[in-house]
Amino acid sequence: MRGKYALAAALMAGTMLTAGCDRIKQATGGSEVAVAETEFPERVFWGDTHLHTSNSVDAFGFGVRLGPEEALRFARGEEVTATTGMKAKLARPLDFLVIADHAEAMGATKALYDAPRLMIRDERMRRWYDLMHEGPAGSQQAMAELLDARGRNDLPEAMMDADAAAERTQSIWKEHLKTVERYNEPGKFTAFAGFEYTLMQGGNNLHRNVIFRDGIDKVGKVAPIDPTYKETPDEIWNYMEAYEKSTGGKVLAIPHNSNLSNGLMFELTAPGGGPMTAEYAKRRARLEPVVEITQIKGDSEAHPFLSSNDEFAGFGVAGWELNNLLMQEPKKNEMFAGEYVREALKRGLLIEAQTGANPYKFGVIGSTDSHTSLATGDEDNFFGKHSGNEPSATRANEGQNLGTRVGRFGWHYLAGGYAAVWAKANTRAAIWDAMARREVYATTGPRMTVRFFGGWDFKGDDLKGDWVRAGYKRGVPMGGELATKPGARPSFIVSALKDPLGANLDRVQVVKGWVDKAGKAQEKVFDVVWSDMDGQRKAAGGKVPAVGDTVNVATATYQNSIGAPTLATVWSDPEFDPKVRAFYYVRVLEIPTPSWPAFDAVRFKVKLNPEVRVKQQERAYSSAIWYTPTA
Amino acid sequence: MTWRSRAAGLLREPLVHFMIAGALVFAVLSGRPPDTGERRIVVSEAVANRLVERWMQSFRRAPTADEVDGLIRDYVMDQVYYREALRLGLDQDDEVVIRRLRNKMVGLAASDAEAKTPTDAQLQALIDADPARYAAEPLLDFKQVYLGGDTPAARAAAAQALAALQRGEAADALRQPAPIPASFSRAPASEVAAVLGQDFVAGLAKLPVGQWSGPVPSGAGLHLVRIERRDPPPTPRLADVRKRVENDWRSAATQTAVNAAYAKLLDGYDVVIERP
Repeated sequence: MRGKYALAAALMAGTMLTAGCDRIKQATGGSEVAVAETEFPERVFWGDTHLHTSNSVDAFGFGVRLGPEEALRFARGEEVTATTGMKAKLARPLDFLVIADHAEAMGATKALYDAPRLMIRDERMRRWYDLMHEGPAGSQQAMAELLDARGRNDLPEAMMDADAAAERTQSIWKEHLKTVERYNEPGKFTAFAGFEYTLMQGGNNLHRNVIFRDGIDKVGKVAPIDPTYKETPDEIWNYMEAYEKSTGGKVLAIPHNSNLSNGLMFELTAPGGGPMTAEYAKRRARLEPVVEITQIKGDSEAHPFLSSNDEFAGFGVAGWELNNLLMQEPKKNEMFAGEYVREALKRGLLIEAQTGANPYKFGVIGSTDSHTSLATGDEDNFFGKHSGNEPSATRANEGQNLGTRVGRFGWHYLAGGYAAVWAKANTRAAIWDAMARREVYATTGPRMTVRFFGGWDFKGDDLKGDWVRAGYKRGVPMGGELATKPGARPSFIVSALKDPLGANLDRVQVVKGWVDKAGKAQEKVFDVVWSDMDGQRKAAGGKVPAVGDTVNVATATYQNSIGAPTLATVWSDPEFDPKVRAFYYVRVLEIPTPSWPAFDAVRFKVKLNPEVRVKQQERAYSSAIWYTPTA
Repeated sequence: MTWRSRAAGLLREPLVHFMIAGALVFAVLSGRPPDTGERRIVVSEAVANRLVERWMQSFRRAPTADEVDGLIRDYVMDQVYYREALRLGLDQDDEVVIRRLRNKMVGLAASDAEAKTPTDAQLQALIDADPARYAAEPLLDFKQVYLGGDTPAARAAAAQALAALQRGEAADALRQPAPIPASFSRAPASEVAAVLGQDFVAGLAKLPVGQWSGPVPSGAGLHLVRIERRDPPPTPRLADVRKRVENDWRSAATQTAVNAAYAKLLDGYDVVIERP
């Protein structure tokens, strides 16, 4: 072991080394440099699993001219020039990036843009060509029309030429993989190969991001596929299984924007109706271990319609709760249950009770879904959903509809979504493995550190010692599972630290879901630790007083004079019933801070419409820990 | 034997292939555009093969004889219109043609640079020009005790805690629970900054080695710190940063090649800007 470590250290030459621990393993992360993995995850790695570049059909149409190389340089912390000419740089670099360009029609709008106009015979395509050449506004109009047609299965035939598309995809993919490989630096920065599989039933969003654990040697043997039939994810799962079988590699998929699926993302039944089988449930849970819970196009944690007792439900649902992705079918209340993650976790328990398998035993991450090649998630440095709404005086107030109807406005976009991963090293292998075991969490942008362990004998005193080691030794981390321990009650170590550049914390909550004796799914939110809890904010009648508000909208500033920089506790479930299956996850709330439109208003000296959201309580969501009674 | 079958036979002659290929190579290498005034359109076997190949990529089967005829007819039509359009000057003032050809020229210049491999000396020169950019990050070795938020009360308590630590009392009793490691060893500065902020990392530089000191403020609050070891600032080594330098080199080389190619072309022109 010692010799092995020495070798790893020599190869590493001063790159990845972490705090006080034994290094017992080394892994290659699919590249030539060996990087040591720590004994257990010691630090959280920040990334975006969902970024689009000019290779995405809609991103290019919306105007972006930056490609994968600029995207990778930007994520690493370099300054780049954004499409609209502004200099752009992250306040802090990211640790990893997945460029997930749409497989569907990869490069198609770019091909249309570059085509000789004479050769474009289709009238609508010629109109879009002209619009795109007019400039950004025209580009957006063209894209809106194109996406609308896509949702209605009414694209011009010339754009659907499958063979031309496959050829284009192949050549873009090969170039793309080379770029990704060049920027993947094990121990320093991880660049993943991936793509977006844009499954859509009408305008209902069933999109997935596909992320490979491997490098070009394996991933180069396949090309991204786009959905050829539009009802179920079987096709992409077949593709993933075939990839693993033929190359010996590994791949997972992350569904996103369940909030725009009109109830179809997390169904109680099999897709299209009928009972869900255990095979389907197992397959889904294995191939899709993580869900993207929050991103620019809204947050999918909890909706007030479903969680009426949760005063903090409904973050970032404004605008997105009206309709499906392409605004082609208005949302009905009964659809919400299939769209929000907390409800999906509950449905997972119900299905497990019936079939023995839980299709929705997934972890959660946030990501941007930015279409600007710029993975920006900070309120004060938000480059928008696509290049048509990069910073400008008017973007917050403007209508920003996909499709051509009314109802969504610029301010409905959230600056946010980052993925936090508790991995043993910054390599493809280590980060991917952490996703596969669900040891991940989501934030709406700020980089809070969140630890969550479940076990049977954690006590308050554990926080005085090396509680992280104890957490791994005597319990399971977020994403883990607990089985019955006779006579014991589960207890949880919860610890959260503010973003070092950000706002103080208001409170930490544990969200519990379970199936009661009548077979009904239930949920409850427990406030477990909050700032000033023994002083001004003593809970009265089971309710914790609000933390307060220091936001000055006129200057887009706030003060850390309220809240706490860090909150920690050991909590045990007072209502635990050993016969009842349950899950527990953590939600951390920041104190109120200004939202991106408020920063825009100051920067561009504009007046925002009265309905525009100017402040919010940003948050982190951990992956759950599941308790399953032994039969 | 009809003239047609004779011609077909001729087309199968290797010598003829050689001559056609030679003529093509000559035309390409001489850098002259094909003579558009030429009123002869030759559909060589090579051309036909290319048409068939492209067709097969789309349809995944061999074309029928009729389909081959169709492909050739279409090719001839392309050539006729293309040459006539050039003769009529339709390419002039057509922005799409102009932009497309410009893109192709830029692409040619860029692809040269992209295919090149830099020498170690070239990369080393890049490092020497900006050593700070490529220097390995300083590695930090320290223990820390987190005291909570930066409040007047915490500052007052810090002095007592510091004295206790300096007397050799156990650190764990003084520490506020937080997901911050108690000790960092060989930790790159950026990793510490990710948890505690850049100001904290800067604050460490002033502390003595081997003894408890502080408090040092961070994004989380106040810390007492004991620096365990401090190395001289690292110098960049090519082996450690090769990938990064190579990416920078390629990105710059591409831009330089494109600019140089343009400058060279521009050199052959008199540009007259008439001012009113």
